[in-house]
Amino acid sequence: MIPASLVLFILFGGLAVGCAVAMVTQRNPLYSAISLVGVFVALACLYLTLAAPFIAAVQVIVYAGAIMVLVVFVIMLLNVDEEVRRPLRLQYLIPVGVGLAAVLVAEAAFMLTLGAGTDPTVMPSGPGTGDVGSTTSIGTGLFTEYLLPFEVTSVLILMALVGAITLARRASDAGRLSPEDFAAGPRLATAPAAPGIIQPGHTDITGQAMAEYQIATGEAAAPSPGKPRDEEGL
Amino acid sequence: MEWLSNQVGPDVARGIGQFIGVNIAFVGVLMIVAYTVLAERRILGFIQGRLGPNRVGPGGLFQPFADLLKFIFKEEITPSSSTRFVYFLAPIIAITAALMPMIVYPFGPTINIPFVGAVSLVIARFDIALLYVLGITSVGVYGIALAGWSSNSKYSLMGGLRAAAQMISYELSLGLSLIGVVLMSGTLDLYSIVEQQGGWYGLRWNLFRPDGFPQVIGFITYLISAIAETNRVPFDLPEAETELVAGFHTEYSALKFALFFMAEYVNMFTVSMLAATLFLGGWQGPFVDVFPLLGIVYFLGKVTFFLFLYIWLRGTLPRFRFDQLMNFGWKFLLPVAILNVILTATAMFLRM
Repeated sequence: MIPASLVLFILFGGLAVGCAVAMVTQRNPLYSAISLVGVFVALACLYLTLAAPFIAAVQVIVYAGAIMVLVVFVIMLLNVDEEVRRPLRLQYLIPVGVGLAAVLVAEAAFMLTLGAGTDPTVMPSGPGTGDVGSTTSIGTGLFTEYLLPFEVTSVLILMALVGAITLARRASDAGRLSPEDFAAGPRLATAPAAPGIIQPGHTDITGQAMAEYQIATGEAAAPSPGKPRDEEGL
Repeated sequence: MEWLSNQVGPDVARGIGQFIGVNIAFVGVLMIVAYTVLAERRILGFIQGRLGPNRVGPGGLFQPFADLLKFIFKEEITPSSSTRFVYFLAPIIAITAALMPMIVYPFGPTINIPFVGAVSLVIARFDIALLYVLGITSVGVYGIALAGWSSNSKYSLMGGLRAAAQMISYELSLGLSLIGVVLMSGTLDLYSIVEQQGGWYGLRWNLFRPDGFPQVIGFITYLISAIAETNRVPFDLPEAETELVAGFHTEYSALKFALFFMAEYVNMFTVSMLAATLFLGGWQGPFVDVFPLLGIVYFLGKVTFFLFLYIWLRGTLPRFRFDQLMNFGWKFLLPVAILNVILTATAMFLRM
């Protein structure tokens, strides 16, 4: 009789691999995101079968419940179109990738054959093997033995957060007009004053400002003196 | 139970017991949900000075079945440019995520049933029950967000976006307001949390438990964020009918709409159960140790109180604006919830 744990492993492992393949091959970004959620849920089930319920729950709460919701939110907000398949530019990377994958598979096979020879019950593991995955042992470990790495990691994540916000702010400030923009000149600010607000659709005004800017930076030639094109009847 | 486990072994017997328990719980909860809808319509009618549905059966008692029949026989309309697969997947995710937390709630103490033996009124007891509930709840966002996206309608998309933003914002304060209780109980197992609230004739609830810190702040922040999490008035912006027609389920009809409708009410029921379990002592109450069956009555009574509160609020409060909602969640509710965690931890440290 096949042990139940093996059946569950094949079921959830297969689900995880299938969802992962679907994630890469889907062309619609939202389908990719949903497949990734499937991967996370299948992984959480695998953690459950490995007697690590806390990790399983946190996997679902953090990755499936928070991070992927943000990803889905952004995809929905930007209304990303289906990606267009282009011919591969970096053709020479394909054999490299195949080679690396072969090395990885060989490594995994080597580890498995190495592990098969020894008794699985004496696999290296921390103290208190029975409840390593339980909430109590993880909590105790995090707040006593591993307190410093835990705190350092949280500071690191906080720094990443602050960095991301700083980058986002700078990018959004660039789109806004500041007093220096008026002083420095060539952008929307130099466009002739239009009645009302300049919208992205007002191509004549934005285009004129763009042309002036390009002329000023030397990216485009100034129009030759003569009749404006409109008066030629074009 | 013993006879069964002698016949087929303890594991299979437990599986059969859980199967029966799941069926009873799901059917029971869906019945309660159906009558919550009726109660909501009648109470709203009372608040607004009208009658509400009172034609089907005595006093309108069979109205839920009439509604169900109507939903079943309505025409199924699928928007022609919708994303088919996701469009069908979304209501399934919504109702599944709403029903799944049901299995960890203790509906009552261990009771003796004649010919069966001692039966504990919780379907599954495990170490991470509370985290399980939070995890499933957080997956429930996808049902609404994907419904909004796949309908290919601007109103639906707006509703889905609002729902996603609102639910991940309020999930934080929801989780943080529970931490005080977890700190005091020292476990995530809901059954143990309820058992610890016995004493004082079953009134030693976490809401005013003297050892540790009375969880009044946590209770209030939980209640507010739970209302926001279930998208109910005054936080019902995802389906604000004055601006978005019906929000994320604008394009859904017939049974698929009914699934969303049921999911909303089942969610109301589960967050009410969580509030009753964590803050109001679950099935604990006077004389439960003498008459264990009273436990079910107490538990459902507390849940009914919360459901009534939901309906009452719907009849009373106007809707928030979206920026007010976000400001309230991030700038007021979240700091208050964190403050509750710090106060509880300090109080417990001082008592050590």
